[in-house]
Amino acid sequence: MTFVTITFFIFLLAAFFCYFVTKKPYRWMVLLGFSVLFYLFAGYEKLLFVLIAALIAYLVGKYATKRNLIFGIIGVVGLLFYAKAGEAIYLALSLKGSVIVPLGISYYSFSVIGYMLDVYYKKTKPEENFFHFLLYMIYFPQILEGPIPRYKSLMPKLLKGEDFSYERVCFGLQRMVWGYFKKLVIADRIAIYTGEIFGNYKSYSGIYYFTAILLSSLQLYADFSGCMDIALGVSECFGITLDENFKRPFFSKTAAEFWRRWHITLGTFFKDYVYMHIAISPKLLKLSKTAKEKISKEFGKSLITVIPLSVVWILTGLWHGTGADYILWGCYWGVIIIISSVFGKKLKALPKVLSIDTSSKAYQRAQMIRTFFIFSGARLLTAPGDLGVSWYLLKRMFLPWHLSEYFSGGALVNDMTLVDVAILFISIMILYVVSSLQEKGIKIREKIASYSILLRWVFYYGLIFATLVFGIYGPGFKSSDFVYIQF
Amino acid sequence: MEEEILELLSDEFPEVDFTSSDELVDDGILDSLTITGIIATLSMEYDIEIPYEEIVEENFNSIQGLASMVQRLMEE
Repeated sequence: MTFVTITFFIFLLAAFFCYFVTKKPYRWMVLLGFSVLFYLFAGYEKLLFVLIAALIAYLVGKYATKRNLIFGIIGVVGLLFYAKAGEAIYLALSLKGSVIVPLGISYYSFSVIGYMLDVYYKKTKPEENFFHFLLYMIYFPQILEGPIPRYKSLMPKLLKGEDFSYERVCFGLQRMVWGYFKKLVIADRIAIYTGEIFGNYKSYSGIYYFTAILLSSLQLYADFSGCMDIALGVSECFGITLDENFKRPFFSKTAAEFWRRWHITLGTFFKDYVYMHIAISPKLLKLSKTAKEKISKEFGKSLITVIPLSVVWILTGLWHGTGADYILWGCYWGVIIIISSVFGKKLKALPKVLSIDTSSKAYQRAQMIRTFFIFSGARLLTAPGDLGVSWYLLKRMFLPWHLSEYFSGGALVNDMTLVDVAILFISIMILYVVSSLQEKGIKIREKIASYSILLRWVFYYGLIFATLVFGIYGPGFKSSDFVYIQF
Repeated sequence: MEEEILELLSDEFPEVDFTSSDELVDDGILDSLTITGIIATLSMEYDIEIPYEEIVEENFNSIQGLASMVQRLMEE
């Protein structure tokens, strides 16, 4: 069951009703019951994996010795590795049977690893109640694609049982509708184009590839951030605020800033639990000191950055997938982030040398466009689904573009119509305007709530109407799956 | 100790004004790269090990916090 099915709406209504008719101290049980039910829709055998991981982490929390922590992390990572690489191993060893891939395993595995480390390092107290812990792990709004929670922050909210608030429910529903708009109207409409180009790439070349790659960047953003809006909106209705996973990443001026605004909870996980541990390890500090003395001060300093960042980006690539495309994708980002970290000061001085006004809006827009192209370069590695295809596209991307043919109807592939192009263009403009206003610090939902009732409902109904009418649906009103579910 | 650490860190990280806030982490003045740089600098200068448990906001939010952490770790 994904967020874009009729079953989910019925499920959500039932959960909502049961939650608020139950007395406060027992509301967490309603959430746990519905979270287990949500998970059972994916298959009971998958729930077994979750229970094993929960039990491991719960016991490590209770008996947090170094040995137990190591065994706990190996156990959870082992299950994750089985889910991620199992199919490839089965194929390589010609084994029969199929690999069970538990729903949301990449997300809940990281949330429990974070919990075990936090308990071990005394940054949080261990959970006494196993069922509380299970709820933290499989709370249904966040199980599909995150955000990856922190135990210390989420657990008290899950147990609190907030009172019903009309305003909060309205805000939550608005955010959900906004998420559906991004997913159904923008992401799934772009998918018609990108699916055709990447699926039948040999029939196209030049500008078709170029636009497909750029559009696939927007598609991924609309898809993933749309799912997050739905997840955070659903949770907000229950009075439980989840961590934000996106902060308008395409307004970033550098690659490093981009990763502070894109998939934020994954980035902070790697920063806190991998980067920091390696960067402050006595062995690395000793190596850095020796390098400072024997080679140069700058080189010694840079080791503290380069080594942990290299590990982080290889792991980030592996988290997304164990194929060569994602490993290369991790290396691509790692090299860019390392270069900007190590040579950041020198690179910053370059505009001064060239007498460029870095405070001008034109320069800042150029920086944002550059970041978007860097991101799209990474999409070229993974969006086609095969590195061979990526290489094929890259080689032919800059062949003659035949713009007159493209703009006189050639761009309309796979039954796309001019109406589709117009809807897509207007929708992306709406997304841009809303994001720009948020970037200026304007809180859109509060702003709309301050308008007269007539104007308010024009906005609300307009968005609902646009999503229902212009959304892309398959048979039975079912949309395509969210992209990040596969991770 | 505080003045000594302020001078040391100001030399090492001239782009950071350590006196501008007493919530350096919470205000976003120190990012993770700078924090690890500070840890490396202090570890080498005072020959101490700064364990992961010590990386909390209260220790890094101000020069006073850093100085008291270094003092404590030197005495341990």
